[in-house]
Amino acid sequence: MTEVAGTEGAAAEWAGGLDGLGESFAVAAEASGGVSDDRYALAGATVVLRFASPALRERLSPAFAHLATGPDDATAPPALTVHLWDSSSTGAEPPPRPAVPDNYAEGALYHFDRPSLRAAYQPGLETLSVLDWTAGTAWHWVADAFDQPYWDQACPIRQILFWWLGSRNYLQVHGAAVGTPTGGALVVGKAGSGKSTVALSSLDSQLLYAGDDYVAVTLEPVPRVQSLYSSGKIEPDHVRKLLPHLVPLLSNRDRLDKEKAVVYVRQHFPEQVTSGFPLSAVLVPKVRGARRETRVVETSRAAAFAALAPSTILQLHTAGPDSFATMARLVHQVPCFGLELGSDISAIPEAIADLLDRLSGVE
Amino acid sequence: MGSARFRVKTPDVMHESIEGEVIIINLVSGTYYSVRGSGAAIWGLVQDAEAVSGDEIVEALSTIFDCSRAELERGVMQFLDDLLREGLVADAGTGVETPGTLKLSENGQTRRPFEMPTLEKYTDMQDLVLIDPVHQVDEAGWPRRPDAAMPGADA
Repeated sequence: MTEVAGTEGAAAEWAGGLDGLGESFAVAAEASGGVSDDRYALAGATVVLRFASPALRERLSPAFAHLATGPDDATAPPALTVHLWDSSSTGAEPPPRPAVPDNYAEGALYHFDRPSLRAAYQPGLETLSVLDWTAGTAWHWVADAFDQPYWDQACPIRQILFWWLGSRNYLQVHGAAVGTPTGGALVVGKAGSGKSTVALSSLDSQLLYAGDDYVAVTLEPVPRVQSLYSSGKIEPDHVRKLLPHLVPLLSNRDRLDKEKAVVYVRQHFPEQVTSGFPLSAVLVPKVRGARRETRVVETSRAAAFAALAPSTILQLHTAGPDSFATMARLVHQVPCFGLELGSDISAIPEAIADLLDRLSGVE
Repeated sequence: MGSARFRVKTPDVMHESIEGEVIIINLVSGTYYSVRGSGAAIWGLVQDAEAVSGDEIVEALSTIFDCSRAELERGVMQFLDDLLREGLVADAGTGVETPGTLKLSENGQTRRPFEMPTLEKYTDMQDLVLIDPVHQVDEAGWPRRPDAAMPGADA
C-alpha cells in the first residue's frame, strides 16, 4: 500500500482520466433520459448520488434509504456528488481504467493516490471508483448493473465513502453498531465473530440498528457512530437457526446457496434503523454457545484494538497509518468490553442495553 | 552479539502500543502480532530509532531487567530474528546514525525480572490479502486503457 509520489506528468494524465469519466457518464445519462439525484445526510453534510443508470440505482439505493433527506434539504449544496453508472444497461463506453496484467488475482484492487485524487479499480468486479475530494466530486462506474455481487449492493461505494469520510474527520471501520439515541456500542471483530448476529438480533428490541459490517466513527468533539448502510448480511445457516423470523424478509432468498443472506433493515423495520448515536462502548463478541445467557465481561483495550484495527485495515485496502492511529485513540477514549454470546439470541440486546444504561448512569 | 542495524519495515508494517501491549500488522502477509513485556520494550527501542543494533538494545535493556548479560543477549537476538523472519523489521544498512545511547520510556531504578520476549502471531486474516491483493498504480497506469500493457505490474 505504498503511496506513490505525484509528478506533473501524472497530474496531466489524471486530468485526461477525469475527462474520460465525464464523457462516459454523459453518454449513460443521455441513454437513460437524464440523471436521478438522490440526496442523503451523511457525516453532517449532504451527499448526492447522481445516477445515470436506473438499473444501478434500483440495486444500490436501498442500502442508503435510512439516510435520505427531506424536502428541507432540496436546495442545500452537497459536500459530495457521486456519479454512478454502468455500461451494460446504458451502452456507454467504459471510462479509462488502469491497465492491469492478464493474471490478476480475482479480488485484486489497483489503487491510485495523487493529491487530491484517489482511484480504486477492481478488474475482477469491473468496478472503478474515483474521488476528487477538493472538488467534492466522485465517480463510480461498474460494467454491468445486473451483475453486481450481493455484498457490493449491500454496501455500495465503500472506497469512495472511506476516502471522503476522512475529509469529514470520520473513519470508516469494520464493525457493527447498535444503540439508543443517547449512546450505543461499536461491535468489532473479524468476519464470523458474531457482529451480524448481535446487530440483527437488535431488530426486536429497544436498540436501534446502525449497521452490521461497516460504520463510520468520529472522535471529535465526542465519539460518535455514523451509520452508512441499512443492510444486514448473515450466513444463511445462522439466520435460519438463530433469527428465523428474518428469513421471509431476505432480499435474496432464492440465492442463499451461493450468497450470504441480506436484509434491508429500513425496508422492514423503519423505526429500528438510525443514522447514528454517541459512542459509549466498544464490544468484542465471542460465541459461547454452551451457555444460554449473554454476559458482558472485562477485556483489555489492546484486545479491542486487535479485534478492530487489523480487520479494518485489511478490509478497506487503502487505509493507512493514520487510520490505525485513529483506532488506537478510539479504544483509549471509549470503554471496551467483551461480549460472551450465549445460545439465547433474544437476550443479547438486553445485555447490551443494560451495559449502555450502566455507562450512562441509568439504573 | 549483533552490530547489524534494524529499522521498522514501513510502510509494509503498522504498529500501535496500547497499555503496554504492541499490536503490529504486516500488510503484505495479512498477519498481525501481539507483543508484551520485554518484547514490547525491544519493539519500542526499534520504533524510536532510525536504526538500532542488537548490542544497543541489550545495553539499554540491561538498565531495566534483572538478569545476566548472556540471557539478555539470547533473548534480544532470538526476538530480532523473529521480527526479521516475519518481515516486521529490515536491515537498515550502514551509514545511518544512531543516537548512541537508547532511551527507554520507563526508568531503570527498580529492575524487574527478564522474561524471554515472544511474538504472538495471528494468521486468521491472511485470506483478505491473498484473495484481494492491493497494488499501487503509478503514472504508467490509470488512466491508460486496459489494452495497453502496464510494464512491471505484478499480480
